[in-house]
Amino acid sequence: MYRYDEFDHALVRERVEEFSDQVARRASGALTEDEFKPLRLMNGVYLQLHAYMLRVAIPYGTFNSRQMRRLAHIARTYDKGYGHFTTRTNIQYNWPALTDLPSILSDLAEVEMHAIQTSGNCIRNTTTDVFAGAADDEIEDPRPWCEIIRQWSTIHPEFSFLPRKFKIAVIGAEKDRAAIRTHDVGLQIVRGADGGTAFRVFVGGGQGRLPHIGQEIASRVPAADLLAYLTAILRAWNLLGRRDNIHKARIKILVASVGLEAFREEVDKHYATLRHEDLRIPEDEAARIQAYFAPPPFEALPKASAPFDRALLADPDFARFARNNVRRHRQSGYASVVVSLKPVGGVPGDITADQMDAVADLAERYSFDELRAAYEQNLVLPHVKLDEVPALWRALHEVGLATANADLATDVIACPGLDYCSLANARSIPVAQALSKRLADMDYQEKLGPVRINMSGCINACGHHHVGHIGVLGVDRKGEEYYQITVGGSPDEQAALGDIVGKSLPADEVVPAIQRTLDRYLEIRTDGERFIDTVRRVGPDPFRDAIYETLDAANA
Amino acid sequence: MLQTLEGGQNGPRLSVTTPLEEVEAAAAVTDVLVLDFDAFRDGRGFSLAAVLRERGYAGRLIAAGKVLPDQARHLRRSGFDAVELAPGADTTAWDRMDQAFSASYQPAVDPAPTIWQRRRAASNDRDLDALADRLNRETAGKDASEIVKAALDPALGLRVGAISSFGAESAALLDIIASENRDVPVVFLETGQHFLQTLSYRTQLTKALGLTDVRLVTPDASEKATLDARDDLWKTNADACCDLRKVRPLARATAGFNALITGRKRYQASTRAKLKPFEVLDGVLRINPLANWDADDVEAWLDENDLPRHPLVEQGYRSIGCWPCTRAVQDGEDTRAGRWSGMDKVECGIHLGRRQVAA
Amino acid sequence: MKIVTANRLSDGRVIYAGADNQPVEQLAQASVLDEATAEVVLAEVAARPDVFVNPYLVEVQDHTPSGRDRLKERIRATGPTVGNSLVREPA
Repeated sequence: MYRYDEFDHALVRERVEEFSDQVARRASGALTEDEFKPLRLMNGVYLQLHAYMLRVAIPYGTFNSRQMRRLAHIARTYDKGYGHFTTRTNIQYNWPALTDLPSILSDLAEVEMHAIQTSGNCIRNTTTDVFAGAADDEIEDPRPWCEIIRQWSTIHPEFSFLPRKFKIAVIGAEKDRAAIRTHDVGLQIVRGADGGTAFRVFVGGGQGRLPHIGQEIASRVPAADLLAYLTAILRAWNLLGRRDNIHKARIKILVASVGLEAFREEVDKHYATLRHEDLRIPEDEAARIQAYFAPPPFEALPKASAPFDRALLADPDFARFARNNVRRHRQSGYASVVVSLKPVGGVPGDITADQMDAVADLAERYSFDELRAAYEQNLVLPHVKLDEVPALWRALHEVGLATANADLATDVIACPGLDYCSLANARSIPVAQALSKRLADMDYQEKLGPVRINMSGCINACGHHHVGHIGVLGVDRKGEEYYQITVGGSPDEQAALGDIVGKSLPADEVVPAIQRTLDRYLEIRTDGERFIDTVRRVGPDPFRDAIYETLDAANA
Repeated sequence: MLQTLEGGQNGPRLSVTTPLEEVEAAAAVTDVLVLDFDAFRDGRGFSLAAVLRERGYAGRLIAAGKVLPDQARHLRRSGFDAVELAPGADTTAWDRMDQAFSASYQPAVDPAPTIWQRRRAASNDRDLDALADRLNRETAGKDASEIVKAALDPALGLRVGAISSFGAESAALLDIIASENRDVPVVFLETGQHFLQTLSYRTQLTKALGLTDVRLVTPDASEKATLDARDDLWKTNADACCDLRKVRPLARATAGFNALITGRKRYQASTRAKLKPFEVLDGVLRINPLANWDADDVEAWLDENDLPRHPLVEQGYRSIGCWPCTRAVQDGEDTRAGRWSGMDKVECGIHLGRRQVAA
Repeated sequence: MKIVTANRLSDGRVIYAGADNQPVEQLAQASVLDEATAEVVLAEVAARPDVFVNPYLVEVQDHTPSGRDRLKERIRATGPTVGNSLVREPA
């Protein structure tokens, strides 16, 4: 993984100094709260319901044990002993004091971490496939390009005061495990005409109040021109995007209102007058960065592992874990292991400081000291010997991190909701917890197969409810929490927004309605059909009937 | 540093909400323009400034209105020269925030070297001797193609160029380079005193091998006017002539490279008897893929690959430089015997260290 | 009736305008004010941005939030209803 050199170190240290200066000027009155707010947001600092919230970047989700231990240290020292992983592979702390933030940022800088641009109207943390560098269907590791984008976008002089936030995701495989079409810009590595690296570019995706799926604006931008092309896109939007209405400021609204063709013309106009030479990624810099992402020193191992196979037979719990949380690896004899942060009745994405330390130890011992944060608010140990998966599983079990539900119905994605968030209209966590308890039976979950359920506490859609196979959106009805259900959303290469099935439900009716939806699927699915396949085949109507029990009512 | 100005009479003003076309039209007829920020969050001004600068506006650009000291370097790096402040504003915060960072990653309008550029410069300072030793070890027993491939490995992060005289043996090395990467820059020292045949051969070979980046490097005009206005310095001081027409131009042309591929071979001269494939000269890695080749190896390569020959070879020229200092050689004579014949000189100086040349 | 609430600049914690418009942490200690007085107190604390961040009025009956945002105000007053924050309360 990438390591800072003296320039990277200097920059994050200077950023801490700058932020300390801003905090001091806020305290002295030299900066008003209105002026301070965008500056603190660009350092990941929100003011939420009960306290400040700090969002720390885990660039493209890749980190190591030393960094994870530092995250644990911060949770213990400055917070309440836990952290919360988000869909954009960041970690959030819910209770830091403003006066502690410069110290926290210094602690992070020591281990090559920061909170730069994890919020604010700027270019955010670039995300990628959690299995990058391990997946067997990848044509190129996308992370070096994420790091190049990270560096290029950090404290960008032209793009730090954009109309709204701007999110980029990059994948290196046809299969989309990073939801690139729900990003402002999604990049898919493809082979260029000359056989070199090129990018298929999607633009204008985004969730929130007016969700859109990204559209393809360019099919093959050569890698060396990537930054010039991104600059042209951002420049077109920065000059033309709306600034009068926060809900219409994202690039998705501009693209939708002028149309893809007109937007492409605008981008091409800017692209033509850019100083390309300056923006071409220097080949030696690209090579320097790529060298950091060379594969770890894998051993030559046979495909099958006797210890793994023995454990499968000996322990049905391990067999279940192996079925659901262990993923194929490109290297023979290795696997990627999903560490679920969705225990029964838990808070999706939460992890205690002790668990962080434990996972850090396990990454060091079993996965070449490498960890990943996943879009699904889980962790992944990317490179584990099959021989050692049983031992890893036992160790995870001891610290409560062996829940065998990756990608199953209780692997719920949820935002913090009204328990913490000042934007929320309704709580998400209690609903997610109730659902998790209701569907806890692992046999039932395995029978259902992969189902993605997403919950957001407000229309800003941090829980990505629009692209959940089943989406739950909290709304406020005259001071009461209600929940609107969508069906058929999908974040992958067949990205789709879910259909709203009907009027919103009171809190206590949500979980039974979802269970009826899942039961209806079991009734009508054909052989081998996943939940999302069935929805695509039959549409939302049967599920609407299940949710509102209209058929039952008619039959009664 | 971004200049801080008082008052509001600094030039024609436009709001940053003005469409780009109108801002460009206004900039076309003024040499000072004030862009007024309606709100500090409204970042259009940064893009307007950058576009104006990139499309050639060279006048003064001044920011005004609602801007924060924390935006000083965003303004400066987007192309603003100055900011208008209300009377009594705290200029120390502006100066402090302007200088809060010692470097930036991304290129912008300001000329300060970026972190990416500084990394490239820093990579010049690395231990090339150790790298040369390592590469000599790793390529021991390997052929010329593999030596070139090793030098071009992007993981080394070297900025590699080649130098070629487009002489009697040059086609072999250029062919090997071209088969690895036709875009490697090839520097040709256009001394102004080459044989015409060399110049036509250069064109022919460039085309045949598909080389995309052959760079002609001429002597500095003012130096030449001072030192050799009548083009006859070679008669009185060949070393000074080589210095003017080869050594100095090469130094200028190769300043951007930290690795140079040459076609030198041990057999060519006693000064080259200990030549290794990788060596360091004046802080530049020299790569000599043909170090252990002899004349027969070159001949065999040219034959096997059916490469065009230098037209003077059939007239008995075996090593070809500038016409005044090159003659054909007889059979049995040393290949380079025809270079600076009759003088106590075997090298022009581009393959010697700087200190030796200065004498 | 109204109370005046905000977050404290130094640590972001929920505060209310109490006696003498001093910041207090407990909803029960907040001054319950009539409409006109509440506006005056709001202006007073808004002029102290070194303590009161984003002050606003909350509709209450006695000390219980009663307006449309009553759930949010209840959660602000008593903390998250679920989750890891409950395991370790602030020192």
